[in-house]
Amino acid sequence: MSSPSKRRDMDVMKLMMSDYKVEMVNDGMSEFKVEFRGPPNSPYQNGMWKVRVELPEAYPFKSPSIGFVNKIFHPNVDESSGSVCLDVINQTWSPMFELVNVFEVFLPQLLLYPNPLDPLNGEAAALMMRDKAKYEQTVREHCEKFAKPEDIANPSEDSSDAELSDADSESSDEEMAGASDP
Amino acid sequence: MYCSVLHYMVSRKRVVGVDMGNSLKKSQPEASLDRGSPMTVDGSSSEVVNDDDLNSPQLGVDMGNTLKNSQPETSLSKGSIIAVDGSRSETDIDENLHSRQLAVYGRETMRRLRGANVLISGLQGVGVEIAKNVILAGVKSVTLYDPGLVEALDLGANFYLTESDIGKPRATACAQKLQELNTAVVVSVHSSNITHGFLSAFQAVVFTNSTFEEAAAYNEFCRSQTPPIAFIKADVHGLFGSVFCDFGPEFIVFDVDGEEPQTGIIASITNDEPALVCCVDDDRLEFQDGDMVVFTEIHGMTELNDGKPRRVKNCRPYSFLLEEDTTSFGIYEKGGIVTQVKQPKVLNFKSLREALKNPGDFLLSDFSKFDRPPLLHLAFQALDEFKVQFGRLPAFGSEEDAIHLIRLAKQINEGAGDLKLESIDEDILRRLSEGAKAVLNPMAAMFGGIIGQEVVKACSGKFHPLFQFFYFDSLESLPDEVAQEHGETVSDNRYYAQASVFGHQLQEKLQDAKVFVVGAGALGCEILKNLALMGVACGGKGKLIVTDDDVIEKSNLSRQFLFRDWNIGESKSTVAASAALAINPYLRIEAFQNRVSPETENVFDDAFWESIDVVINALDNVNARLYVDSRCVYFQKPLLESGTLGTKCNTQMVIPHFTENYGASRDPPEKQAPMCTLHSFPHNINHCLTWARSEFEGLMEKTPTEVNSYLSKPEEYKASMVLAGDAQARELLEKVVECLVAERCRTFSDCLFWARKKFEEYFTNKIKQLTFTFPEDSVTSTGALFWSPPKRFPKPLEFSTEDPSHLSFIAAAAYLKAQTYGIVVPDWAKDFNRLAEAVNEIKLPSFTPKQGVKIVTDEKATSLSISASDDSMVINSLIKVLDENASSIAPGFRMISIPFEKDDDTNYHMDLIAGLANMRARNYAIPEVDKLRAKLIAGRIIPAIATTTALATGLVCLELYKIFLGHKVEKYRNTFANLALPLFSMAEPVSPKVFRHQELSWSVWDRWAIHGNITLQELLDWFESKGLTAYSISCGQSLLYNNIFPKHRDRLDRKVLDLAKDIAKLEIPPSRRHFDVVVACEDDNGDDIDVPLVSIYF
Repeated sequence: MSSPSKRRDMDVMKLMMSDYKVEMVNDGMSEFKVEFRGPPNSPYQNGMWKVRVELPEAYPFKSPSIGFVNKIFHPNVDESSGSVCLDVINQTWSPMFELVNVFEVFLPQLLLYPNPLDPLNGEAAALMMRDKAKYEQTVREHCEKFAKPEDIANPSEDSSDAELSDADSESSDEEMAGASDP
Repeated sequence: MYCSVLHYMVSRKRVVGVDMGNSLKKSQPEASLDRGSPMTVDGSSSEVVNDDDLNSPQLGVDMGNTLKNSQPETSLSKGSIIAVDGSRSETDIDENLHSRQLAVYGRETMRRLRGANVLISGLQGVGVEIAKNVILAGVKSVTLYDPGLVEALDLGANFYLTESDIGKPRATACAQKLQELNTAVVVSVHSSNITHGFLSAFQAVVFTNSTFEEAAAYNEFCRSQTPPIAFIKADVHGLFGSVFCDFGPEFIVFDVDGEEPQTGIIASITNDEPALVCCVDDDRLEFQDGDMVVFTEIHGMTELNDGKPRRVKNCRPYSFLLEEDTTSFGIYEKGGIVTQVKQPKVLNFKSLREALKNPGDFLLSDFSKFDRPPLLHLAFQALDEFKVQFGRLPAFGSEEDAIHLIRLAKQINEGAGDLKLESIDEDILRRLSEGAKAVLNPMAAMFGGIIGQEVVKACSGKFHPLFQFFYFDSLESLPDEVAQEHGETVSDNRYYAQASVFGHQLQEKLQDAKVFVVGAGALGCEILKNLALMGVACGGKGKLIVTDDDVIEKSNLSRQFLFRDWNIGESKSTVAASAALAINPYLRIEAFQNRVSPETENVFDDAFWESIDVVINALDNVNARLYVDSRCVYFQKPLLESGTLGTKCNTQMVIPHFTENYGASRDPPEKQAPMCTLHSFPHNINHCLTWARSEFEGLMEKTPTEVNSYLSKPEEYKASMVLAGDAQARELLEKVVECLVAERCRTFSDCLFWARKKFEEYFTNKIKQLTFTFPEDSVTSTGALFWSPPKRFPKPLEFSTEDPSHLSFIAAAAYLKAQTYGIVVPDWAKDFNRLAEAVNEIKLPSFTPKQGVKIVTDEKATSLSISASDDSMVINSLIKVLDENASSIAPGFRMISIPFEKDDDTNYHMDLIAGLANMRARNYAIPEVDKLRAKLIAGRIIPAIATTTALATGLVCLELYKIFLGHKVEKYRNTFANLALPLFSMAEPVSPKVFRHQELSWSVWDRWAIHGNITLQELLDWFESKGLTAYSISCGQSLLYNNIFPKHRDRLDRKVLDLAKDIAKLEIPPSRRHFDVVVACEDDNGDDIDVPLVSIYF
């Protein structure tokens, strides 16, 4: 039946089928990293981040935990931990949402419209409020320094794409699907 | 100091009085307690209750006073002085013992309870259940009265009577064991007649099984007292029960629902009449029209800050109208908090005699039986009349007596005036008559819970009393037809009453049942008691398995009534099992210490689950419930589920194919405060406590663990940090360096310095930095004020040893820090004066906020590279620091990790957490809380009381009959109840969701079985033949096939079994000939179809 574990698998699968590069962490379907590009028409547009996703046991009833792995200068992202303070993926999460929504809607919206009123990174928020131009410049500098696509994308571990293009490594898809504990 | 005295007295009393060790087994030292004068169980003082000094019925329950607010202290201390010649305070509450109950009642109610003397008359099943719950709650004294002698019949519902008690006076026979429940309560037996003088010593009296005339006379006397004595009459006959309450002509309830006062953060107020108040959309307002509220912290319209309660109306989720003319008030500027003020409520109870004729509205428990209470009102009157006329209750199953009862009912109905019923359902009266003599344990447990709570209400004014009659029946628990008994009637059998009501066939089924009880906590103890009394698993083929991986803690004892304080540290399931065995020596019970989870499927294996008839959950968390539910669905076993939260409880019946399963519906997950709020913008004490607990765990538990993992394998640890090379690794390493190098504590003075520095960092420097980054007048680009509600503008604290809360924070932090280093706290440091002197010596540099944000452009490049430079560079330099200092660390040195333990008042954990939270609250001008409140919130203590548990388990056991009778779904009941209101809401369980596809239909209870060792292609074909396209097949956590992966086509010709073994590493026990796969498929329209689990029998 529509068990949570089935739903979890389907959500991850859908994410991959929408051409996101997904890199599994450990074995199992509950922790992975997703490559995420900054949305166009924002100071983040040339950046690429690895976003860590952890699905709690009660997913989709409980929200996934989301964090930026490489640094991002953003009022609502904690500078050192990369944690994201966003209501739709915390307080107002609904089981109707899927992982694809997080990467296609929630995170792009967050980068397009930061909310300096509820800051996790006070410096970024204060700068954005005081001097938008300088804030945007800092964002771009951070992107240049910490979020260059060529540094982030890891061609050797590029599993899901390789899968779809019929590469032959036997192990990668099981890793993706999450092998059971030995 | 009082505590320790009390403790001493308590333990001495136990040793002298009762041979506790033996009491669980059998052989009671037969104290001759049948003298005729009241005496305490330990025989030490026979006058306790009748002492003239005690005759003042006002002990602590002078409602008139207490409600006018805030004098309870005085009235209570008066009570305590009277109680024991002023030498010790009777009102001291053992907060470790009662923490879960304190979370429901609060200190004030508990203190009032501590002053209350309660009489319980009638010690059959209901009486003993009430006594148990009231004694656990912690009143001052409970006096038991029952002139009757123990019969075999009583053993079916009174859990403290054994076969050796038969023929003894009922009250004395169970008094000792009741006393053991709570040695702080004086339990005594009254054996002479009940006189007015005797009654006047009580605050609450409960009469079970009294005739109406008798009860009415006592009731009149109770009402005539000043203040009146609360009177409760309870009658439980077979599957019928009634309660009547009269707490006097003017009883004041000071908390009608037990809910916390609601609050809101104000966004605007109009100058109008009525004024419109809008709140920020942070949390929905839960005000109701007519509620009273007060305001604080309003800027501008300061007239509202006067503390005067005002009435609200037109309540909406984020606004309400205020009944106040604010046109001439100041103009609202900003800020403000609105708080609900709980209003006391006066109830005008009618006397029993009056209420009988004019009962008012009956409390309804089941909307499908809305016309039942008036009928039962009549039926119980008829039953009373029967008792009067025949001097006995109707005999079991007697047709003749039933006819008499029906006749009497009709007679009474004729003279009932306005209450006259147009028609009388004779069948219901017949059922009442047939079973009237029986006291059934589930009914006794349920009513014991309800009435126990009413006693608490009567003694404390907490929660809304039952007003005034409550009638209940569980006719659905009866078999459709009770088989006529043939042959001998064994009336000396402990199950005689139950067997007479349900038939011997059912009794045999119960005795031969194989039952799995998951959990031996509060629910588990009550369930085991109930099962033992009902004789479940007490026959030759019966088996009762109880499992719990937990051990007994002190805080369990206030409601997990099978445990005593000498059991602390022992296995819950083992102790509960032997206590249940003492209740019924025929019980075939086995105790396991395993958690039921995927890890224990070798213990609770297929054969185990298949051998079970019914599963009863007695769990305290949702995950375990979901797991047991999934196993019950898989193995098609009925599951009886229940849970409690404070005064609320629910029961849910999960019956294969008839009802939905537990996991089919879920509560929304608990709301968590946003991270940014916790980090920098708390606006209530919960935010501060959540932050405090997480800081505690970071400082005292996680960091020492991290340090130790470096110390035990330095090279591997460093390598893994270099490999990770991210901000998290860097942060961890920074902490390790801090503990081992930068801030390494070698003496207690170092710890003191550290604590002082932490204070400065948390409550001064961080706040200065925050308000520097966001000055009070900061605005966004749109001009909105940054510090607008719900955010509160913080102010840094200035440390002073003069402030006791500053000093106690420093003390707790330093003591615990010392503990992490294994440093012994010197004696002088326990003296706060000397500690203060030492702290005053510490000088810290003054803090200048960082200029992080205001950097000029041309400096930016450099500052960026410094402030946010590469994590791996920092990691490398930190490792270098560690290497350089490695030699200064003694070989084998380890830090001590301190996991948070909320239930030990002497470990300073809660002192530190409360200190952290309250200092932070002070930064933000949030009201502070005391240590108890802090413990309840930060320790996430789930409020729990014995009464609710008893109610829930009684209800569950009423359903258990139905399972063994094979009832249809319409006879089952799920219940939601809240004893505080009180509210009982019973309803038929929801049917499982049925899925359909073409001619197929299925529910969660179905599985699709495929026979044969098939290939993947054959499996796909099997689905194809049903018009379904299977696109994804998984086994356990592993994916066997998904059509998006071209490579998976190679697997089509392989056996599914082999794929499962190879890819999912499935291990199939030799005894099992099948395995399960989860298939995701869609129909021809491309719509996803939820299909059952597929079992392949190879």
